[in-house]
Amino acid sequence: MSDNRKQVLDMLAAGQITVEEADRLIAAIDDGPTPAAATGLAERPATAPRYLRVIVNAVDDDEGPIKVNVRAPLQLLRAGVRLASLIPPQAQDEVNTALRQHGVGFDLSQIKPENLDELIDHLGDLTVDVDGERNNMKVRVFCE
Amino acid sequence: MIPLAAVVAVRPRRSSSNFRLWVPVPLVLVWLLALPFLVLALPIFFIASLASGVNPFRALWIFWQLLCALSTTRVSVESRATSILVHIF
Repeated sequence: MSDNRKQVLDMLAAGQITVEEADRLIAAIDDGPTPAAATGLAERPATAPRYLRVIVNAVDDDEGPIKVNVRAPLQLLRAGVRLASLIPPQAQDEVNTALRQHGVGFDLSQIKPENLDELIDHLGDLTVDVDGERNNMKVRVFCE
Repeated sequence: MIPLAAVVAVRPRRSSSNFRLWVPVPLVLVWLLALPFLVLALPIFFIASLASGVNPFRALWIFWQLLCALSTTRVSVESRATSILVHIF
């Protein structure tokens, strides 16, 4: 019996979870990732992503179908984040306040160079698909 | 390495003619032309950086990295009428 399964059964015995919850947890353990996948080795590409791709497809009433295809090197993103560190503290506060006013709870001062590589590494797993009803707009953001 | 060349290609798609505009931009010449102005602007940049509490050398290094990172950037926009491609090498 695996440690995870034993832990679920212990929680059930202690009355911390219901039978249904225990069933769901055990099912999740059974369907869980393989050790290789759990370490991130299974699906991660052999080479690190180099480009950020933004593809926009839309249909304009006047111009007809419009396609925008942007391929920006991730190195540019890296340099851009470093550029953000040049913003003086008082300006950062104003930017943070403005972001919060628009519903974006993001703190510029939390972007630190030591976190940058980790951030960019994880961008490799990022894919954003946006389907908008207006102009049949489709936006796809991913790394390659 | 900073980008040394760029290509701007414009192709009208509605036109029946085979007109295509393909403009290679020798960025190396742009940098050479801009260099005297950049040198003149350097003292102002240093004073402004120090006044705002930013290390000017660090700022220059980051701007240089930003410039270098522009290489291999590619932007293309296609509409029914025109297709535009900008590629920085």
